Amino acid sequence: MSFIRESFSEFWASNISKIGILFLAILVAVSIYTVTTLPLDFGVRYWYNPVYWVDYPKSAQPEWINIFLSEKLMSHVELSISKASGIKPYNNRFIKYYNVSYNHECNQFPKFITLRISDLLFYRRDSPPIVRFYVTRPDGRTIELYTLAIETISSNATPPFRYFSMEPKRILLSGDIYLARSLVSFLYREFNISLGTSGVLEVGSEKIIFGSIGGDNTFTPLIGRYVFSAVLICSDVNDGIGMFNVVLGGYVYGLMGTDVLGRDLFQGLLFGFPIALIIGVGVSLLTTFIGAGLGIVSGYIGGRVDDFIQRFADTINNIPLLPLLILLSFIFGGRLWLIIFVLVFFNWPSLTIIVRSMVLSAKASQFIEAAVAIGASRLRIMVKHIFPQVAPFVFAQMIFFTPYAILAESALSFLGLGDVTMPTWGQILEYGFKNGAVFLGYWWWILPPGLFIVYSAVTFVFIALGMEPVVNPRLRRWK
Amino acid sequence: MGLGKTLALKGLTLIVVLISVLLFTVLIIGASGLSDRVLSSIMNEELRGIRQKLTTQIRDPEELNRAMDEIKQDLVKAYGLDKPWYARIPNMILRIVTLDLGSAREVQTFTGSNRISDIILERIPNTILLMTSALIINFVLGLVIGPRIALRHGTKMDKAISLYSAISYALPTWWLGMLMILFFSFKLRIFPFGGMYSVPPSEDTFMRFLDLLWHVMLPLITLVLALSGSWIYITRSIVLSVAQEDFVSVARVKGLPEDLVRRRYIVRVAASPILTNVVLGLAGSIAGAILTEIVFDWPGMGTLYYKAVMSVDESLILALTYIFTLIYVLARFILEILYVVLDPRVRL
Repeated sequence: MSFIRESFSEFWASNISKIGILFLAILVAVSIYTVTTLPLDFGVRYWYNPVYWVDYPKSAQPEWINIFLSEKLMSHVELSISKASGIKPYNNRFIKYYNVSYNHECNQFPKFITLRISDLLFYRRDSPPIVRFYVTRPDGRTIELYTLAIETISSNATPPFRYFSMEPKRILLSGDIYLARSLVSFLYREFNISLGTSGVLEVGSEKIIFGSIGGDNTFTPLIGRYVFSAVLICSDVNDGIGMFNVVLGGYVYGLMGTDVLGRDLFQGLLFGFPIALIIGVGVSLLTTFIGAGLGIVSGYIGGRVDDFIQRFADTINNIPLLPLLILLSFIFGGRLWLIIFVLVFFNWPSLTIIVRSMVLSAKASQFIEAAVAIGASRLRIMVKHIFPQVAPFVFAQMIFFTPYAILAESALSFLGLGDVTMPTWGQILEYGFKNGAVFLGYWWWILPPGLFIVYSAVTFVFIALGMEPVVNPRLRRWK
Repeated sequence: MGLGKTLALKGLTLIVVLISVLLFTVLIIGASGLSDRVLSSIMNEELRGIRQKLTTQIRDPEELNRAMDEIKQDLVKAYGLDKPWYARIPNMILRIVTLDLGSAREVQTFTGSNRISDIILERIPNTILLMTSALIINFVLGLVIGPRIALRHGTKMDKAISLYSAISYALPTWWLGMLMILFFSFKLRIFPFGGMYSVPPSEDTFMRFLDLLWHVMLPLITLVLALSGSWIYITRSIVLSVAQEDFVSVARVKGLPEDLVRRRYIVRVAASPILTNVVLGLAGSIAGAILTEIVFDWPGMGTLYYKAVMSVDESLILALTYIFTLIYVLARFILEILYVVLDPRVRL
């Protein structure tokens, strides 16, 4: 035990090991945070499901970029309300208001505008509700945006009737023809401008809704408070909307921006942490276990067993890994377990060869002779006496192997052969590269995934370097 | 005698490697049904050619179809598609070895041929050009800087370079390449985005050469930045361990000039383990080559591999896996010879 304590204090003495351990702690903490906050099937359910990301801005820069810009870019906005802001009777029906307000402060128009309704609930089969959408601008003018009518229920279903509960009703206002017509009359009524529907669509509905009109019919963003309202006209007082959302597409989004599909890179990058950790630790654990085990057996037992293991190891050790890895992933499809298996299969031999040579010298020492003399079994000698001799070296190799596995997996992912059920950093980079992120200058898509790969790899390199003085330097093997 | 025997043994091991890789590949592609697809595609291509020829001779469409059916049955037999995959193993190996794998689906040579062997022969020199330049630069850097910092062990310089090595080990070459393009090509616009020559290439040979230099710069810098760290670190640690040997101390105590001690007692002894690591590093550099080429759109084997994977071209992937193994095994054999020449102890 004192041996371990001594080794540890020697390890802890260098700054590089402290940094390594700190990095590792962060890596593990982020992984645990990710696993507990994101669902485990995040990849299939969200990341690779383009529908989930439709209302996110595409290729948006991270939000904090505004700190460095003199002309601020519009942030992505999602407003929501789930309780009616007001109710009043209307003839023998009711009107419920769902209002959300938004303060437009930047000198830009939204990229797109989407309205969403979920969980529409009503009780009267013969008179379903009608939803009208309006926006009131800072200048007090109101525009009618859209009308949603629900068909009467003809089936035998019993009330309450529930609509849009599985999937919300999504209304994309940009390019919508009804809105365009409404805007034509709005412009004529309020500003005495006659612009046809095609003219409105050409200018863009967002620009008219969010714009004030200049001299020669140019639109400049109108700063101030906008109120979006969904007005529910219903026959039963209990009818209602579960959730009303307004999405204003921005130019910057979140901490890490979005990719070309609008996927929030922050979530994808976060999910990369536990996967990198699993691959790194899984591969290195298995590799060292097999490599060291066979090395000890080969060295201690000797004879034919030794010959066989060594020839086998030699052959595998000479095979260039990447081409075969590509072929295998191509044939069997990228699966995490397959990648781990192949990395282990092709990498144990180098460790076996070195451990064997170390065992050979340990075998000749007197305490082994003594152990044999008192009748210890071969297994006992290997586990109790030989293994402790090579343990520090094997442990160092295990640490040193982790970054290799992380890098190999990301390389495979970059080739498009990664596990398609979960996002990894390599896959995010691959998708970015394939979509020309490098050539379009989408740095926020390229920089962070690579930095995280380097971060997680360097963590283990630092720990391995810190272990250098503990392990006999002459027995090191360099990659 | 010793030399010849050692080399023969090494050569034999490498041949065994090559054969086992081939066997392994063939077993996998056979068992997964890939070989059926490859052979069928080769056969269909041949059938198409025959059909074109026959249409000029046989006018009646029914008769043509009958003739084609007969030819097809013959071909199925000839290709062994009527037999299970394991019966075709020797044949398949022969096909891969001779690169007789038909033609690629999408990729073509500059002259327009899409035969796999033509494409590969055209691409190999480009890969070798990039990789050997990078390998030589890294080797020299390692050899010059490594021993220097090893002999100034523990200084600030030594620590800084060790840190650089650690980070460069953790740095994916391909990602660094993307950063280089982002910075030097997109932001500063001083290097091309990729490729080997400008389009259209210059007529003048000298201008063409300059153009090539301009294009090779960024990938080369990337490879050197990403890989030199580990090269330097390898030489450093080997020299360091040799410098601590007793015979070096003895040489110093004898009063030999420091320069002589370094050259003859340290560097000479360290040379062969350094070379061993060159051999071991080779696998990594091949892998790096595939990915770096893709990033810089360098028209070499790596880009070809990527395109083959992207267009799901089984025959091409198979051929490239074989070629990469072959190159690797050959390079290793050459290094083994060098190794034996350098270090007499290796001879049996």
